[in-house]
Amino acid sequence: MPSVKNWQLGREMAYPYEARYPERQFAFVFNINRCIACQSCTMACKSTWTFSKGQEHMWWANVETKPYGGYPQFWDMKILEKLEEANPEGQSWSGGVSDEKSKPYGRFDGQTIFEAAERSLTPDSARVLGYLPTDEEWNSPNIYEDNPMGQKGVRNKLSETGEQLPVHNTWFFYLARICNHCSYPACLAACPRTALYKRPEDGIVLLDQEQCRGYRKCVEACPYKKTMYRGNTRTSEKCIACYPRVEGKDPESGGDPMETRCMAACIGQIRMQGLVKLAADGTWAEDRQNPLYYLVHVAKVALPLYPQLGTQPNGYYIPPRWVPRAYLRQMFGPGVDRALERYTDPDRELRAVLQLFRRSNKIIFRYEMKEGPKVYEGMLHGKPVTLYNDTVIAYGKTGKELFRTTVEEPVHVRPAIHANSI
Amino acid sequence: MPYDDPEPDDPHLLVGVSLPGDEATTREMAAAFADEFAQLGFDREGLLLVFANPFYAGAHAARELLGDDEIARIVDESLRVYGGQRLLVKDADQDDEMERPEALRGRRALRVL
Repeated sequence: MPSVKNWQLGREMAYPYEARYPERQFAFVFNINRCIACQSCTMACKSTWTFSKGQEHMWWANVETKPYGGYPQFWDMKILEKLEEANPEGQSWSGGVSDEKSKPYGRFDGQTIFEAAERSLTPDSARVLGYLPTDEEWNSPNIYEDNPMGQKGVRNKLSETGEQLPVHNTWFFYLARICNHCSYPACLAACPRTALYKRPEDGIVLLDQEQCRGYRKCVEACPYKKTMYRGNTRTSEKCIACYPRVEGKDPESGGDPMETRCMAACIGQIRMQGLVKLAADGTWAEDRQNPLYYLVHVAKVALPLYPQLGTQPNGYYIPPRWVPRAYLRQMFGPGVDRALERYTDPDRELRAVLQLFRRSNKIIFRYEMKEGPKVYEGMLHGKPVTLYNDTVIAYGKTGKELFRTTVEEPVHVRPAIHANSI
Repeated sequence: MPYDDPEPDDPHLLVGVSLPGDEATTREMAAAFADEFAQLGFDREGLLLVFANPFYAGAHAARELLGDDEIARIVDESLRVYGGQRLLVKDADQDDEMERPEALRGRRALRVL
């Protein structure tokens, strides 16, 4: 198997194909601290792409409650368990976090889903360690979460007097997910018909419906379970990253690249999506003023989801600050402590960049910050806080300004009817 | 809806599994929501509604556990820092596209958040 560079693991790894990198890569950052599971993203995607017959079970975008939920159920626990079985006690990191761009989270010493497959699977055609979820696991995207429950122990009967949503008596958080459009996609690696491909212009992973014969190898291989089988067409389908919008072909875009539907619909303003420049070796090219580059490589507050799986996912998350660290380290790797330390005590620039989230539906390619006067100094949760009236300016693909944000002291404008009231 | 009861011997089901978490963690979650949404420009009434709505299960669970007074205290603490300002977003001038009807759709010159 060829060897490719995986910067998230801080080392080379085995992958069935030689490395080929797009010019730019579709990537996104989700700030979990803001997600309240309103499911607006989920419904925006559903109503755009998966509303047809045969797609009933498909949620290309979903929000699940961790640690209880999953769509399909147990997706992450199952693949982690399989890796643990393949490499008992060996799935660990070493070296510690660093400022080196080629190994920001240290070095992963365990096995990826490709390496575990190479060592433990037969026949040779089995290229990726994975599993096929059962129909029942696809059934309830938010089992026990948004389903009103009946009486405990009584099957197939809802409450006659009302409904009750579940109450969790311990910590939890919401994990919003879409396809990660990985740099080393497991779905692509597993497809015997090469129906899956990565677009050279933006790294979006697509599934050619004419090539697909519905073998479901991609469904089995994708560790995030974001390719789904459609029974009535006997082909698999997946998130297409709303590529007409990303290409700037949406009528509203005026030709500028736009963020996807799930990003645009986010009322919690947790999401930012972009197209990052790649270097020849597949790492992110230096692009200091790109907001995604800043969050991932400068502030280092945004981390990949389960980097140890080895697909180099392009979805990054700002971890929730209230969740026990051991769980977060398993989910986002060793960078969690550094990320949360910086996120809970943000510097001036980080505060400014966080204000760029969802201010426009157009993709931000560059930002600038103009420093303004101090507007507040005080304490919050026992820590000193200083706020400034800084202006953040966002620019689009052509270098044209998209918008700027600034802070203003509150002003109350009286309605005309009360214009002369005291 | 879930069709079956949990299988007690299914290793993937969190049945009777003890997870670390307590009132302090819930308070931290509530504070995180209050801080984040105060920074987005929510006022006191809007912030309290996030915790009051049972469909926002996380925030609502915090209110159930901590009580209205504690939630109000958390919200007020966030607003003391972030409630004094409001964010203005100014879209860039798009005069060169004024003639194109698709460019006019959804245009906002000045937005107060």
